[in-house]
Amino acid sequence: MKSTEKRIIAGVYHLSKDFGKQFALQDINIQIANGEFVFLVGPSGAGKSTLLRMIYMDDFPTAGQVVVGPFVSTRMKRSTIPHMRRRVGIVFQDFRLLEDRTVFENVALAMKVMGTGMGEIKRQVTDILTRVGLYHKRYDYPTALSGGEQQRIAIARAVANSPSLLLADEPTGNLDPVVTRSILELLFRINAAGTAVLMATHDFDLVRSFGQRIIYLEEGCIVKDKEMIYVGDLRDRIDDSSVSREADRLSGHDIEEDR
Amino acid sequence: MKPSEVGYIIDESVLMLKRRKGATSLSVVIMGLSLLILVMFVLVTLNISGIIGKAGEELRVYAYLEDGLGSDASRDIQYRLLGMKGVEEVVFISREEALDNFGEALGSDSDVLEALEENPLPDAYRMKLGPEMYRSDILARMAEEIKQWEGIEDVRYGRRWFERGEKLVRGFYMTDLGIGLIVLFSVVFVISNTVRLTILSRRRAIDVMKLVGATNTYIQIPFVIEGALQGVFASLLAVGLLALIFTLAKRYLPGLVFFGTEWVAGFIVFCAVLGSLGSFLAMRRFLKM
Repeated sequence: MKSTEKRIIAGVYHLSKDFGKQFALQDINIQIANGEFVFLVGPSGAGKSTLLRMIYMDDFPTAGQVVVGPFVSTRMKRSTIPHMRRRVGIVFQDFRLLEDRTVFENVALAMKVMGTGMGEIKRQVTDILTRVGLYHKRYDYPTALSGGEQQRIAIARAVANSPSLLLADEPTGNLDPVVTRSILELLFRINAAGTAVLMATHDFDLVRSFGQRIIYLEEGCIVKDKEMIYVGDLRDRIDDSSVSREADRLSGHDIEEDR
Repeated sequence: MKPSEVGYIIDESVLMLKRRKGATSLSVVIMGLSLLILVMFVLVTLNISGIIGKAGEELRVYAYLEDGLGSDASRDIQYRLLGMKGVEEVVFISREEALDNFGEALGSDSDVLEALEENPLPDAYRMKLGPEMYRSDILARMAEEIKQWEGIEDVRYGRRWFERGEKLVRGFYMTDLGIGLIVLFSVVFVISNTVRLTILSRRRAIDVMKLVGATNTYIQIPFVIEGALQGVFASLLAVGLLALIFTLAKRYLPGLVFFGTEWVAGFIVFCAVLGSLGSFLAMRRFLKM
């Protein structure tokens, strides 16, 4: 059990978004507390990605507002968006790593743009890469890594600045079921360390077994927001933790074959 | 901005230049050639106005005296001429002297002068003027004024020749200005286009940087540096090629002059500014999207 004190760290209020005549999201209300883990589930085209983009302020709502920490979408200057992004980690289905940089440099980038000193960067990146189990690949380039490993690096980069919220947009969309489990486990572990996670996925079967809060999105509307029914260390809820260990081993094995 | 941030930005710039060597050098060549046209014209103008300036030193204004003017009246006129603004030297040319000069100028045909019963030429004062007077309107005004004086028959200074030379120089300046503007536009255009291509090829990196919270400045500076360096290399190329052409041309026209060092330095700095401007404009448009 993490901090017992509940604080809202991010929220969307009466958010609507339309692209011309077509509405993408309608009157969405979500609040996310510190340390919470929330699945955002819905079929493709339901508006999950659009909603996430509103939250990291890559786009702005037509109506309503988004609040992340002290940043309010309706009162934001464009120039403060970078500062807001430093408090939110973001992970995508396609990893979005820079292929011309090593694993280490990819993770370090998130800290470099803040002007963090090199010593601090080295310490922090080493720590994070160890936590995602890929410190030994720090000098490799992303193209030399398997999909699962690339996603771990992307997650490492997303949490490099210890954000209070991690947004994940279909982070397992490109991964096989075994690797998917291991990525989920990593996200749970990050969540257990205190970072709130909002993960969008179309795969309801994948997430329903964890008993987490699940927000169902369909055609731009929230159809159900199931509150958390289980409180505890989420790692306990992974059906069989030996499966995830197996996943790690297998994803490691895959790379050997790729080379 | 923290000092470490400055270091990272420089790292990013170096990384980017390494990645984009091919496209960058191509645009440097295009810009260099455009700039070459500009500097070549400016150099030609510089040389021509130099020649015209030298010709100005040869300029003499003649004030012809009326026949039978007494020596006192003549002396008065000399002092008045000397007292005029821009007059550096006043020399008396007697009618006899003038006839001799004329005879010399005619050379072997000078015997025609012997047919003259008397010397038809007047006495005159020959004036040398300072460079501030080398303007056709000033000269014309001066000539008009002197012509009004008592005892002055006429004032001459090769007016038509002078005005023609002046027009020529003005034409060159205008052409330079026109070509200059066109070249400037095309250079800014080429640079911003190159940068736009760079931006497209680095779009992913830019997106990722934005995602992890890089400020626009952090993203922009490497591109601006790239633009500035392109400007510098293009100007070096242009000046280098011009120096080559100049050396070849000087064999035939030994009197030619080249730009001074401070001109060249100024030009390089100017092109650096031009380059960063091109980048900045392309980047600003992109970051707004």
